Amino acid sequence: MNGWRERAAQGIFALAALVSALLTGSIFGFLLFFGLPLLTGGRLTAILTQPWAPYQGAYGIAPMLAGTMAISLLAMSIALPLAMGCAMLISLSGPGPTGRLLRKAVAMMTAVPTVVYGFVGIFLLVPVVRQLFDHGSGMCVLAAGLMLALMVAPTMILFFCDAFARVPRDYGLAVLALGGTETEKLLYVTLPCAWRGVLTGTILALGRAIGDTLIALMIAGNAVRTPTSLLDSARTLTAHIALVFAADTESLEFKSIFACGLLLYLFTAVMVVGIRAAGRRRPGR
Amino acid sequence: MDQWKIETETLSFAYNGREILTNASTRFTENAITALVGPSGSGKSTFLLTLNRLWETLPGGSLSGRVRIRFDGQSHDIYEPGYPLDRLRRRVGMVFQMPNPLPMSIFKNVAFPLLLAGERDRAVLAARVEEALRRVHLWREVKERLNDSALALSGGQQQRLCIARALVPEPEVLLLDEPTSSLDQRAARAVEELLVNLKERCTLLVVSHYLDQVRRIADRVVELSDGAIREGR
Repeated sequence: MNGWRERAAQGIFALAALVSALLTGSIFGFLLFFGLPLLTGGRLTAILTQPWAPYQGAYGIAPMLAGTMAISLLAMSIALPLAMGCAMLISLSGPGPTGRLLRKAVAMMTAVPTVVYGFVGIFLLVPVVRQLFDHGSGMCVLAAGLMLALMVAPTMILFFCDAFARVPRDYGLAVLALGGTETEKLLYVTLPCAWRGVLTGTILALGRAIGDTLIALMIAGNAVRTPTSLLDSARTLTAHIALVFAADTESLEFKSIFACGLLLYLFTAVMVVGIRAAGRRRPGR
Repeated sequence: MDQWKIETETLSFAYNGREILTNASTRFTENAITALVGPSGSGKSTFLLTLNRLWETLPGGSLSGRVRIRFDGQSHDIYEPGYPLDRLRRRVGMVFQMPNPLPMSIFKNVAFPLLLAGERDRAVLAARVEEALRRVHLWREVKERLNDSALALSGGQQQRLCIARALVPEPEVLLLDEPTSSLDQRAARAVEELLVNLKERCTLLVVSHYLDQVRRIADRVVELSDGAIREGR
């Protein structure tokens, strides 16, 4: 009976893994099928170097690629230390009421819809950026990056907290018994042991930052040009896809969004593989 | 007359409302091995945790009474507000029932208390690590692989490593919670020998379930039963 259940469970898990792999592969295949004709015969260079000027027959997406990189990397460089600090605070607060309250507040933030973050960005953050820097409309890389960081940080915090909680309690007791403080326990033992969980949370958040559409669409300004400063407006690949989607489905303009999708897919994959590779070179034991 | 090192006075401890120790008052002699015996759940391990205040890291405990430890010829109330915990725990070392090496190299494990205390001189660290490992008779077994993970050592080696780590800060009191329960007979005998040698410079409190072991190493036996503390037979 147990053997039958064991085999059934293994079969279900294998099937789930297979379906997930097939779905991911078919999305890639779909993008490749529609996007590849636009990337062959020297057209890849054109798409990566030309400006976006559909009326002149130029469908370059380089500015959008740069916008995506600028906004998502800025968001991550703000969110990572923010999330790490919050997770450490929650961890140091222990299992008491303060820690529980902080954790619940963070969990609640993950449930806030993206559009709400967008509204908060437009009505609260953008005017502040505009007044503070006296540069343009305030809809820029900085505003979008900040809002995106606020949006992805809660997920990272929860991942980091779970990773900290999975570190065996014995390690912590050993440090405290040797005269170490809670902070030293966190820095020297918990953090190095929770490295993989921290990495997983970071990858997930990065995927969310790169793939987010609404924040960029609402706050980044959507200017089709390569941003050269944090105060420049920019358009991300996802926002570009959303904006071009209304075009004639037979037009080259419409078809170019498949190339955007393909590049977004590859860009995310390269970032994830890069972070995983960096994670393998773990700090010394 | 032997001088006392630790004195507990009407010490009571409750965990999540359940009384574990009730008015425990006793003294422990300096440079002696005291064995704590008693049935499972009688509060032996908890009693040890009250002597280095490690129980405070576990939620749900509450304590009343006093614990005094004599350091540098002076009696210190370790529950006095503001008493420095880091200094207390460096002077009152602890070895747990299950070996708990940290997930780092053998060298870093033993050097860890020194690193916590701010020692950064490689030569000093190396000398102190070697000395501690020699004292627990582990040096010859690990000297060629000090940079290997401590988690790769056998159970007996891990426990000796944990004792070496506890000895590095030169504690005046060493609390040992069933230190040989996870070891085979040979490794257990090696640890026992080590404990007997250690009492020259340390006051040792050992929780043990093995009466043979208690007879072999203990100068005094204290029995904990129903939260009360009494002289053992």
